[in-house]
This record gives sequence, C-alpha cells and structure tokens, in this order.
Amino acid sequence: MTDRHDAELRDRLRAADPATALPPADPERVARLLEDVMSTELTTENRATGTRGRGPLTWLVAAAAVLIIAGVGVFAIVGHDDDPAAPPTAADSETVTELSAPSPTAYAAKCMVPNAEALAQQTVAFDGTVTTLADGVVTLTVGHWYAGDPTDLVRVQAPAEELRALVGAVEFRQGGRYLVSATNGQVTVCGFSAPYSADLAALYEQAFS
Amino acid sequence: MDESRRDRFEEVAPGLIEPVRRYLARRTDPETAEDVLAETLLVCWRRATELPDQPLPWVYAVARNCLRNAERSARRQERVAARIMALPADAEPPEDPALEEALAALRAEEAELLRLWAWEQLTPAEIGAVLGITPNAASIRLTRARKKLSDRLRKRVGAAGHEESREGRRP
Repeated sequence: MTDRHDAELRDRLRAADPATALPPADPERVARLLEDVMSTELTTENRATGTRGRGPLTWLVAAAAVLIIAGVGVFAIVGHDDDPAAPPTAADSETVTELSAPSPTAYAAKCMVPNAEALAQQTVAFDGTVTTLADGVVTLTVGHWYAGDPTDLVRVQAPAEELRALVGAVEFRQGGRYLVSATNGQVTVCGFSAPYSADLAALYEQAFS
Repeated sequence: MDESRRDRFEEVAPGLIEPVRRYLARRTDPETAEDVLAETLLVCWRRATELPDQPLPWVYAVARNCLRNAERSARRQERVAARIMALPADAEPPEDPALEEALAALRAEEAELLRLWAWEQLTPAEIGAVLGITPNAASIRLTRARKKLSDRLRKRVGAAGHEESREGRRP
C-alpha cells in the first residue's frame, strides 16, 4: 500500500463526504446555542447524561430507598421484626405521602398492558421527580397530582429486597421524572409506574380526567 | 473553578461547533444531529476543565457516545421507523455508488475508522482517542481497513467493467 495509493483513496472518500454540502451554521444560532448551554444549571443533572455511568452501588442504594419507602406500608403485611423507627417525618412545611413497594408476588403476577381503565382504579397517581435515592428511601417531588390528596413530596420506603425489586421494575433514578401510581399505599408496577413519557402521560391524563 | 470553566469553555467551544456539526451531519439525520450537538456541548460545558489541549478527538468521542445514546432511545421510542421512511426522500443519491457499496460492506468499525481518517482527517492517534483504542491499534486497523476498501473497489471495477464512464452517465 503506497502513500500515493492512500492519498488517492482518501481523496475519493473525501469526494463522497456528505458534509461537503452542509452550509455553515448561522452565527446567531450558534451564539444562542452556546448561551443556552452555558446557562444550564450544572448541579441538576441532565436527563441524558446525568444518570448514565452510575455504579451498581448507586442502584442498590436507590433500590434500598424505594423499598424502605414502600416498607412503611408493607410492614404491617410482611411483619418485619425490626422496628422501622417511625417513618421520617416531613420537614415542617412539606407534606408527604408515604408509599411502599408491592409485595414480591406482584412481580410474579401476570401483567396487563397499562390502560386507562385499570389506571383509573389507582388511588394515588402523580407526576414527580426523584430528588433523593438514599438510605432506603426514594423521595419524589411531585409536579402534578392526578389522584390522591396532593402533598409536596412522596416517599417510597420498603425493606431492601422489595425496594430493590421495585427500583428495578420502575427504573427509579436520581433526577429522573416518573409517572407513579399506587393503590393501598403500594406502588403499582407492570408499567403503570414508569419513567415519564408522553404516551404514559396521555394515559394518566385520560384515566384521571 | 466556575470562572476557569467558563473561560475554558468560551475559549474552546466556538471552534468545536463546526467540526461536530459536520461529524454529526455525516452520520445521522439533521434533527438528531441538532439534538446531539446541543447535548455534546452540554457535556463539554459540564466537563470544561477536563477538556484536553487538543479537544477535538475527545469531543468527537463525546459526540459519538451522545449519538449512540440518542439512537438507542430513538429505537426505544420507535421513531426510527419514521426516520427510515423519511430518509430516502432527504438523502442525495450517492456521488460514488461503488465507494458507498464497498464502504457499507466493511465492518462498522472499519468503515468508521476510514471516515474518521478521510472525513474528519484525524491522525491514527486521534482516531484511537475517539474510538478508545491505542494509537498503535488504530494505526494497524486503519491500514487494514484501507487495504480492504481498496481491494473491494478494485474487485468491483474488475467485475463491472467501465466503472468510471458508467458513473458519468448517472442522471
């Protein structure tokens, strides 16, 4: 393979470069784009990159968090012997809805495709963002309540195993936005509670309007 | 820290936009390219203090990852079907169909090596930085990919006869 041959090949490839016809960017748009980027609040993680590359530990903690939240409800049922020191109380000004994870059998049960009718049966439904995933508790700040008594926050607590299952099912991540529903104080799985999407939001809208 | 990041970003970013735009225009549809450009810049902004002195290969690597993520989520959202349908109308007929075909017949990584070499005009060391392989490996694989492409092109010319004149008559 000679240099001349390489150069010819490179020229031929370059002639087929699809970007040759690309007009230069409009300088005004570029300036605006840079401005937008630089005004991005760096402490809030961007949805696309923020949760990527988290170690398994984070997920574990996250899972534990959800489970603990779920645990409040599950306690009675599961009858754990370790006393859940009274569930953390809300900060003075913030109201909290406490939820728990479904019992492990929920995951084995057959799932129906999420639909408005079934969703409408849920007693709690909201659109919220995970603010903390720590110490066995998932805390969400609620942006919009579809059903249930509106509170500022929702906490999901459950024993580790159950929380882990729930976090896996719903894919709770720090900073992520979710549509969550619950009955009997237990988060519904099977796709009824899931990362926010326009489709699911439309379903929630339909179910609770 | 905040000031130095701002300074660094303001110094570097304007020079990154055009190359990254072109990088993306070569690899995806205009709409996705725009999204991924913004996302790539956001990553640069967040990590401005980590930007190397020669930022381009690093930034291409970021763009590559962002593009992969965008394509993954696009697949998830089944938007891809719509995009595939839209493509033939948008896409120009290839200038050099023999080359397109030979390139498409290579393994994805080989074709990407050749694109980075010819279109982004990177050195083997820079290609290595984009793809996350050593300069040495990039150099070896690039040589191999060039040879493969040349062989395919030669074979095709042999089989198709007067390749050049046929192309000239393309509408």
